[in-house]
Formats: sequence, C-alpha cells, structure tokens
Amino acid sequence: MKNFSKKLDKIKANKSNPFSVPDGYFEYFPTRMQERIISENKEYKWIIKLFKYVKPQFALGFMIVAFTVIAYTTANFILSNRTNNIDSELFTRTIEVDPSEFTEQHFIDVLLEDEKRFEEEKKEETDFYIHYLVDEDIDYRTLIDEL
Amino acid sequence: MSDYSDKELLTLFKDIEKRNYAFNLIVRKYQVKLYWHIRKIVIKHDDTNDILQNTFVKAWKGLDGFREDSKLYTWLYRIATNESLTFLKQQKTKYLMPLVDYENQLKESLESDEYFNGDEIQRKLQKAILGLPEKQRIVFNMKYFDEMKYDDMAEILKTSVGALKASYHHAVKKIENYFKED
Repeated sequence: MKNFSKKLDKIKANKSNPFSVPDGYFEYFPTRMQERIISENKEYKWIIKLFKYVKPQFALGFMIVAFTVIAYTTANFILSNRTNNIDSELFTRTIEVDPSEFTEQHFIDVLLEDEKRFEEEKKEETDFYIHYLVDEDIDYRTLIDEL
Repeated sequence: MSDYSDKELLTLFKDIEKRNYAFNLIVRKYQVKLYWHIRKIVIKHDDTNDILQNTFVKAWKGLDGFREDSKLYTWLYRIATNESLTFLKQQKTKYLMPLVDYENQLKESLESDEYFNGDEIQRKLQKAILGLPEKQRIVFNMKYFDEMKYDDMAEILKTSVGALKASYHHAVKKIENYFKED
C-alpha cells in the first residue's frame, strides 16, 4: 500500500491533470454565466408577474370553495339533529348518567308515555284479530276447540 | 478579482446595485476549482459545462439565504457535488441501464475524448477511478487531485473525518488492485 501511494504521488508529479478544456473556456465562462443569470431572472420575473395577476382569481375561487364546504357541513349538521328523536330508552340512559338532574315527575311522564304507546299498539293488534275472525266467519268456540 | 475575500464578496452581493458584479467575481474566483471537481466526476467536458452552469444558477438563487456559518467555498462545492451526482443518476434512468454500464461507457469515452491528453498511465488511473463507487470516487478525487483537507471534505460531503479516511484508504486499495490485475 505504501509503495503504491508513492507510485500515485509519482503519477501526480508527472502530470496532475490529464484533462483539458477548449481554448478560452474560462475566459468566456463568466460572460456566458452572466447571460444565463439574466435569462433566468427574466423567466423568474415572468412567473412572479403571472402569479400576481392570477392571485386574486385564486383567492376568490378558494373563498367560494371554502364557503360551499362550510355551508354544506352546517346544513348537514342541522338536518341530522332535527331527525334525531329522543326515545325513552335514551332518556333512561341519560338518567342513569346523572339522575340528580331529573325530578320524579319526569319519570312518571316517561312511564305513562311508554304505557300509552304499548296500549295503542296492543289495541291495534286486537282489532286486527277481530277483523280477521269476522271476515273469515270463524266461530270463537271452533277456535278454542282447535287450540 | 482574487483580492476579495468570501466575506467581502457576500457583503457586496447583498447590495442590490452591485449584485451582478459581485456574482461575476464569485464565478471568476471559483469556476476553475469547481470545473475540475465536476469534470473528474462526470468526465465529459460538455456535461461538466452544463453542471457548472446549473451549480452557479443554484448558487445565485440560494445566495440570499446563505448563512455564513459555513464557508462559501464548501457550500459551492456541495452544490457542485450534488448536481454531479444527480446528473449521474439521471443518466442511469435516462438510458435504463445500471450505473456500472454508464461508467464503462465513460471509460471507453476516455479513449476518444479530444480533451483528454494524459499519457497511458494517466488513462489507466482514470479508468481505475471510474471503477470505484461514487462516494469513494469523489473522496479520492478531492484528496488526491484537489489535496483538500479532511475537515473541509467532511463539511462538503456531510460525513465524519473517520469515514472519509476509511473511504480514501479503500479507494487507494482498489486502485492498487486494478493496477495489479491489469
């Protein structure tokens, strides 16, 4: 390794740079670079100009989109709240969470409401059976015998 | 031109009226060093010219935000190194071939390159260098040809001095093996 390092040093000592460039390359490069920077600047300024021109339109578009999203979300929220009826089960569950907030009258009202609903349902069912027996002309005793 | 220090050049650059003049001085000060740094990575003159221009354009755009906690010279070297590595990756994807093949092409191009005027041993050394992995190649070039300090190299390549020393050691070993085998 040491010997080879010496060999590398020798190669470098003979000629450190084996590459060359076209004549006058480094003399003209700064001028070419300056021209490129000027053209890059023009391009950059054009982009900035364009952005300044379209900025109000972008802002307006964004505002319309944002307003639509907010309006849609709010309307959805209001509508979904309207359709949510609180039933006695939810009422009972709410009471379980904090019963101190409810009076005795609340409980009585809920129980009466439930009972009333149950009776109405039962009445509808009984009416249905009576109508059926009348329509089909079935004798009550025949029915008892069958059972 | 070379009388100006980096600090003076940066102060001059901050003055809008003297900005173009200051940048011209920066180009004049660093063009040769950066050119050879890039040239040893991408080998061909035309590619080097493009990358060097891109390097200075990026420097122009970034000089406003340049924090003076690093040296201008290491900052420019870092841009040039990154641009060169990006170029090599682009070549690989452009022709859908592994990087090794592209480097083989570069080795072949050394034979016909009108801007390569080294002797046979120089050509052999360049071919050996082209056979190294990218990072080792850059480390070897910076140390061997540019005689750069490890501290500066560490700042440019964002690695530790120890890792750079190891890279250089491995690079020399591989080049030695190439010379023995050939």
